[in-house]
Amino acid sequence: MMTSTGEAVLFWVLAPAMVLGALGLVFARKAVYAALSMIFVMVCLAMVYVMQQAEFLGIVQVVVYTGAVMMLFVFVLMLVGVDASTSAVETIKGQRWIGILMGVGLGTLLVTVTARAALPETVGLDEANSETNPAGLARVLMSDFVLDLEIVATLLVTAALAALVLTHRRRLTPKIGQPERAAARMLAGDHPVNLPAPGVYARHNAMDVPALDPEGNPIEASVSRVLRIRGQEHSLDTDVTTLVATRDAAELTGDHGTDTAAERGGQNDDTDAATTEGEA
Amino acid sequence: MTPLIAAAPQFVQPEIWWTWLAPYLLVLGAAVVGVLVEAFVAPRARRSTQLTLALVALLGAAGWNVWLWVDQFAPTEFKAIALVNGSLMVSYFTLALQTVILVVAALALLVVADRSRGADDFAPTAAAIPGSDYEELARTKGLQQTEIYPLFLFAVGGMMLFPAAGNLLTMFIALEILSLPLYVMSGMARHRRLLSQEASLKYFLLGAFSSAFFLMGMALVYGYAGTINLWAITNGHALQVPEALVGGRPLLVMGVVMLLVGVLFKVGAVPFHQWTPDVYQGAPTSITGFMAACTKAAAFGAVIRIVVWFAPFIGLDLHEEIQVTIVIVAIASMLLGSVLGVVQHDVKRLLAYSSIAHAGFVLVAVAGVLPYDGQTFVFPMNSAVIFYLLAYGLATVGAFAVVRLVRESQGRGADAVTLGEATHLSQWAGLGRRSPFLAVAFSVFLLSFAGIPLTAGFIGKFTAFKVAVDGGLWWLAVLAVLCSAIAVFFYVRIIVLMFFVDPAADDTEPEPAREVVAVGALGATSDAPVGTPLAGEPEAGVGLRLSDELRRTSGGVTVLKGSVGSRVAIAVAMVGTLLLGVLPGPVLDLLEKTVNFLP
Amino acid sequence: MEVGNYLYLAMILFAIGATTVMLRRSAIIAFMGVELMLNAANLAFVTFARIHGDLSGQVIAFFVMVVAAAEVVVGLAIIVAIFRTRKSASVDDVNLLKG
Repeated sequence: MMTSTGEAVLFWVLAPAMVLGALGLVFARKAVYAALSMIFVMVCLAMVYVMQQAEFLGIVQVVVYTGAVMMLFVFVLMLVGVDASTSAVETIKGQRWIGILMGVGLGTLLVTVTARAALPETVGLDEANSETNPAGLARVLMSDFVLDLEIVATLLVTAALAALVLTHRRRLTPKIGQPERAAARMLAGDHPVNLPAPGVYARHNAMDVPALDPEGNPIEASVSRVLRIRGQEHSLDTDVTTLVATRDAAELTGDHGTDTAAERGGQNDDTDAATTEGEA
Repeated sequence: MTPLIAAAPQFVQPEIWWTWLAPYLLVLGAAVVGVLVEAFVAPRARRSTQLTLALVALLGAAGWNVWLWVDQFAPTEFKAIALVNGSLMVSYFTLALQTVILVVAALALLVVADRSRGADDFAPTAAAIPGSDYEELARTKGLQQTEIYPLFLFAVGGMMLFPAAGNLLTMFIALEILSLPLYVMSGMARHRRLLSQEASLKYFLLGAFSSAFFLMGMALVYGYAGTINLWAITNGHALQVPEALVGGRPLLVMGVVMLLVGVLFKVGAVPFHQWTPDVYQGAPTSITGFMAACTKAAAFGAVIRIVVWFAPFIGLDLHEEIQVTIVIVAIASMLLGSVLGVVQHDVKRLLAYSSIAHAGFVLVAVAGVLPYDGQTFVFPMNSAVIFYLLAYGLATVGAFAVVRLVRESQGRGADAVTLGEATHLSQWAGLGRRSPFLAVAFSVFLLSFAGIPLTAGFIGKFTAFKVAVDGGLWWLAVLAVLCSAIAVFFYVRIIVLMFFVDPAADDTEPEPAREVVAVGALGATSDAPVGTPLAGEPEAGVGLRLSDELRRTSGGVTVLKGSVGSRVAIAVAMVGTLLLGVLPGPVLDLLEKTVNFLP
Repeated sequence: MEVGNYLYLAMILFAIGATTVMLRRSAIIAFMGVELMLNAANLAFVTFARIHGDLSGQVIAFFVMVVAAAEVVVGLAIIVAIFRTRKSASVDDVNLLKG
């Protein structure tokens, strides 16, 4: 049966494009290009299906193949890293030319076989599709292929289970959240809250001057551990009022900004150190 | 029940005969329940639950099949029973083959389930990156991947459907159901995980490639006939081909050949064998045993179904084309398997090449298919092939069960660490002295592979080659006998190695120069001297053999006890092999029933 | 135009897919080649369905898509597993062979 002219035009537009797209799979340097040309071929196939009175299949082709399968491919390509190649694995050994030769041979063989076969006169699907294509498909699906429908369901279960086995990592260590961290810190006998900030009455650089408790005694822990170990902390040998006076003077001359910044920096340092200690 | 032709214009509600579908439902249903067990049963109870479920399902289905055979099948009325609008076709052949698959799978399951100390074949969790801290943690926590059992059952379900398929689509889906779990399971080995994962990828890619060929073959056959129902395609072997279809003969020939490509890949016949050695070597050994025995059985069922349905095609006479294809593949498989088997040094690879050779031997029987004369259905190869597959399956499961118990080890006494299998042949020297039971069992299996009288393998080969002779291919049978003779060489070599080679004395014989260097290197890296003595047998260390650069570790060889289940499996396989060899009569008589019916 | 042209297209696509599998050493691209082969077979099914005026060809193509999706899930899971293994430079045979 000869097809309509419109179909012929569309075929001759789509078919060469599809072959070129498919060849992209063989020759594309980058995997993403290969995936894109594959998607192109599949979208064209969907059009071909619709052209051949398989409307439902054309839509499923777009949804399942381009929408799900190829997206999965692209997703994995991105996951694996676009530049990474899995080719270190010796999958199939073979010379380039032998491969091309075999491919061309296979193509020639298949085309020759098709050409030599005298196909029966094309019936067309007008009658089978008389009640819309999906309805016709449903009749066949639910009568002749019920069993296949059932076993294909087990195939999907298998696939899901298999993918899960290969990728799902069960948590083996207990999950550590904020409550667990806090509890661990208490158990270790650590300071319950942040350590006090140093240098309440700063003289020069407040970071190295310990804070004072309400009774006016210096709190050792308020100075960063690092400074203490290095021996760079300043003891509170001066009278408190002097300190205050110095601080006011410093404020007037505009040193204040640096001081506070330093204070804050010191405080942060200390908190970090405390956290690290708690974890350790 | 006459199968209905596809594409009936009106909706035909399919008749579902639950009695006949019960075995498939049992196995696949148990697999699905197994998935739920993973979700709802406490981790500690999972393994025992899964194992019980799987064993009950397998043996239950086998029992059900026997009942169908004895009580339900009414051979005078039916050539084959078509189920669910012809999606499945059940006959004596499929019932017998499925029972073989189920029984052998049950034995393999006992081996797969072996979790005794040091004998676990499977990674604690397959998702862990090999060598990572996570894997180490999983190992110390004693994690087990219990999903293996449902996967195993899915594979068995696919294997049951594969040879019973009444239309090509069912066959294709069954092919996938049996393959997908196998791809995954072969990547789950506990030791040498990189090798295992590579095996998995290789198996997967080549398997998908071959199933694409199967699919294209299916499309071509559909193009010829306008249906994929075997009964409808061939008109039930009864009518002349309609005039309109005769022109499509090239499509049919090409289609059938491509179908055979897809199926012969699963069988592992040359030239579709490239995956076999690598996958057999990389996969967990218990899975290798299962895969080798059961996949081969299922795939041969499908080969025979395709050959018998298409070769005696009336009106188009495909007989010659198909027979030539089968003969070429058979010759190539036998020669390549036997010759390359001789030069192997790794037990698993050796058994892989042996399996390729065996695929060739079975194909010799398949090649004996006779053109259909239009009146009688006589397919003598049916019974021969089933018997051969039973014999081969028992011996294979048993042999791999033994292989997985012979391990490399490091350290001494209580500190000894069991490593992967000691697969190098030299490590098998003197096994007979250290573990007589395993050595004797392994020898029985090897003798059966070799086809020595008084083992099942002999009867299997005899009946298979006889079919070829009856089919007029006496020269092929002669060639098969010659190839068997070559193969005997490497089987017997292992037996000699196990019983008559003294491991200590053997140490000095080969390649002295290399040995010295190797031993020097050993002294520098490890202080494990000459093997790990076995408990109770203090003098039984085995010599270190470093003549092979493939050796990965410097350690001794230790023979594990294995679980009760795996020892039972080995014993059953051994007794079965011997019984079938000594008294094959009853089984052959039973199988005689398959001859007169369509497979 | 003859309907048979679609068949030639299907055969050519199938051969190109097969060539991809044989030539490309990247597992993902080789796998895409397999997908192309399945698609080519689907095109053949759809065309034959039209020639025979029989919808079962389209139903088969539908099933093939489901099977292909399942296959893709498993295949990509295997590829990702291998990739994760290869990426970690710490892979060490000695570690592997423990326990």
